Amino acid sequence: MITFIVRRLIATVFLLIVVSIAVYAIFFLIPRLAGQNTYQLATQYVGRNPTHAAVLAIEEKLGLNSPLYLQYGRFLKAIVLGTHYNSGTSITYCPPPCFGYSFKSQQPVWPQMVSDIPVTLSLGIGAAILWLVGGVAIGVLSALRRGTFFDRFSMGVALLGVSLPIFFTGLILLELFSYKWPIFPNVTFVPLTQNPLLWARNLVLPWICLAFLYAALYARLTRAGMLETMSEDYIRTARAKGLRERKVIFKHGLRAALTPIVTIFGMDLGLLLGGAIITEYTFSLHGLGLFTIEAVQNQDLPEILGVTMLAAFFIVVANLVVDILYAVVDPRVRT
Amino acid sequence: MRRPRTIGLAALGAAAALALAACGGGSSGSGGGGGGSNSSAPAYNAAVTKVINPSTHKGGTLTFGNTSAPDSTDPGNTYYAYMWNFVRLYTMPLMTYKSCPGKCGLQVVPDLATGPGVVSDNGLTWTYHLQPDVKFEDGTTVTSADVKYAVERTFDRGLFPLGPAYFPSLLAAQSPAYPGPFKDRSKNLMGLNAIQTPNATTIVFHLAKPFADFNYVVAIPQTAPVPPNKDTGANYQLHPISTGPYKFQSYQLNKQLTLVPNTDWKASTDPNAKQLASKVTMTMNMNANDIDNRLLAGDLDVDAAGTGVQAAARAKILSSPTLKATADDPIAGFTWFAALNTTLPPLNNLHCRMAVEYAANKTNYQTAYGGPVAGGGIASTVAPPNVVGQKSFDLYEATTKPNGNDAKAKQELQACGKPSGFSTAITYRSDRPKEVATAQALQASLGQVGIKLSLHGFPTETYDANFAGVPKYEAQHNIGISLYGWAADWPDGYGFFYYIADGKAISPAGNTNLAQLNDPVVNNLLSKMATTNDTATRNSYTSQIDMQIMKDAAILPGVYAKSLLYRSPNLTNVYVQSYYGMYNYAVLGVK
Repeated sequence: MITFIVRRLIATVFLLIVVSIAVYAIFFLIPRLAGQNTYQLATQYVGRNPTHAAVLAIEEKLGLNSPLYLQYGRFLKAIVLGTHYNSGTSITYCPPPCFGYSFKSQQPVWPQMVSDIPVTLSLGIGAAILWLVGGVAIGVLSALRRGTFFDRFSMGVALLGVSLPIFFTGLILLELFSYKWPIFPNVTFVPLTQNPLLWARNLVLPWICLAFLYAALYARLTRAGMLETMSEDYIRTARAKGLRERKVIFKHGLRAALTPIVTIFGMDLGLLLGGAIITEYTFSLHGLGLFTIEAVQNQDLPEILGVTMLAAFFIVVANLVVDILYAVVDPRVRT
Repeated sequence: MRRPRTIGLAALGAAAALALAACGGGSSGSGGGGGGSNSSAPAYNAAVTKVINPSTHKGGTLTFGNTSAPDSTDPGNTYYAYMWNFVRLYTMPLMTYKSCPGKCGLQVVPDLATGPGVVSDNGLTWTYHLQPDVKFEDGTTVTSADVKYAVERTFDRGLFPLGPAYFPSLLAAQSPAYPGPFKDRSKNLMGLNAIQTPNATTIVFHLAKPFADFNYVVAIPQTAPVPPNKDTGANYQLHPISTGPYKFQSYQLNKQLTLVPNTDWKASTDPNAKQLASKVTMTMNMNANDIDNRLLAGDLDVDAAGTGVQAAARAKILSSPTLKATADDPIAGFTWFAALNTTLPPLNNLHCRMAVEYAANKTNYQTAYGGPVAGGGIASTVAPPNVVGQKSFDLYEATTKPNGNDAKAKQELQACGKPSGFSTAITYRSDRPKEVATAQALQASLGQVGIKLSLHGFPTETYDANFAGVPKYEAQHNIGISLYGWAADWPDGYGFFYYIADGKAISPAGNTNLAQLNDPVVNNLLSKMATTNDTATRNSYTSQIDMQIMKDAAILPGVYAKSLLYRSPNLTNVYVQSYYGMYNYAVLGVK
């Protein structure tokens, strides 16, 4: 088991390196193929009507004029060993993992990302609980009452949830419950530690919005899974043994139907923790998603690299947790 | 990027300044203190010409929402127009714009200084005297050395790349070039020879050559004093030391800024700002539609960017008389235009360019920008009406035949030897839907007289750095027309025209003279203007330059940009300051 985890962790490191190389390649090689030189790249990071000297100064400052492998080497070194930065009046040390300094604000990237994590975490985990409980419950009920009004209705709503984009449901929710009837006015992130009630109140709409999409998916998945398992032979056997129906459904049926759900849940949650971009944008919540938008808009390489690697890390870890759980349950996976 | 404008009223400033300083703060609030007396009934566009809800009521939180984040909160490192407006809440540059509605708000007046600069006979030295009793937020008195240091640090373009670079180019050079205080080896870090501080309240700027607009240059926030021992270089943006009515309480980079009243600030020394709200916040990176909706719902007071509401809110506001009465549609200061490449055949022939001027459908240009309210008025001159000295004229029937005059266009095509038209390419910023629509509209209207345009869109970030106006690229790719927009750093003809029309401004990359116009008449007028202090003469130069560019048909003006601003009923002392084309943030209060 330990070797399994160690192997996976090593693979994770390689994966993150590959991700960072890919980002570097997209950032530097594609403009270069389009005929852009580093001087032109540097003009993006100065004010308007820059003088030649000003562009050269920023090119030098950002290190854009050194060879690519050197820039990448510095980036990796900073993550492992940290780096020093000259703010003009003092030299500060940025401890590992140092994702460098923003091209725009010249402030370290890592603390900014860390301060955004609670927002995304609150949003993602809250919504996850909502959709997992809601989606699975509806799915199970629908499967057990196949063909009834409840089944048709809930599956219809689920179809709606899957097809409506988040920015649409988000806007509707805001329009109704924030602007028109201000039940949840002025959605702003308040840290859980500061005021749990306000924290929850401000997140209700984003949670519902995000959970609506996922719950719909999970309800349909659970329903399909339940329908399949409930027609298995061992369910018939269990019933024939005289087990109570509740036990048949939850212990034999749901447990088997839930395994694929757990896998998908791991992936979805990992993906969300890297930034629920559209939800955060719709509700103006400054988490990793908005951080990503901002980084891309400013062509801020250190920020883009940082948030991409963090997102990749979350996905990999979520998958790792799922795989470990699997390995515990099913020894055949431990290869 | 939002472009700020420059102001060229130097001379006007000199004469008017004392009078202005006297009536400085704009007469607000007729006593009454409490919840903002509604002396003026709200009406559409009312805040363009007068103060709405004048009040001296103190308290409350003034909330700004921002669709992005400032380029920097460091007064030495910002070039966004709205930030030049906003920083006055925590800084006092030597000069600033008079706080008042209407054209009055285009005047440059002393702020930290006691009067406008005194210029020497040869035009090379500008002397300012500082108010003796202005204090930083820590209680220390501001001296001329702090102003000198503030300017010096902006010479470090590696640390402060974003602000304008007028000082390095205008001040007398020294050898080796001054690298900024952080790299300066001299002991006291006061090594810029071109600025002298004979005593604590006097500062003298030595210029490389005469520059009549210098009062405008020192109105840029870069002259706001910075105490050398409190400077933290790249980190100064996290807490600039305030000289204005408010100071930083907390700043979470790119997220949330909170300002609280600066107890060391005195209203008597800063007539252009007010300290009414007990707290000012700016929330950054908000969704643009969310900002509009919160404004309308009363949860937010000001949209910081000041560029107007989005299409959804615009429809809501214009269709409701109550909402419309609390909205303003001021001139923003931009002209959106198409530059005609004066060096590329056949457009190097004046008549071919005139054919384009006549054939273009200006109504469609305006529609592409959102129509008369959201877009702006059809332009027939290069400079917009809020440039001092601008005169209105119309050489190519832009306003009389806004749909184009094909007959005249065909005559001009005959005259230039291309009776059946010609082919050329047009560049535009492909991530700006309005420019895309404009390019398509021009393609259609010019096509009617046989001028065939091929469309070449590029991303904004690299647009003028690599493509539009880059002489080599344009020649190689047959680029005859480039869409662009311009607002000056200060509102006079020099500030507006230098970068877009002077032959000396043409550069191999990052060129802003997109027409590559190198007309001796224009060049000469601009260089005369740079050394002329007399207001009337300067104003006449402004309209002459404008006229000459239009006679050259180097620029096809599109629209004078306007933005529909929502004036929250919560606000007091609210009005549009013409220089910024948005509400004056330095004087706002809340009910």
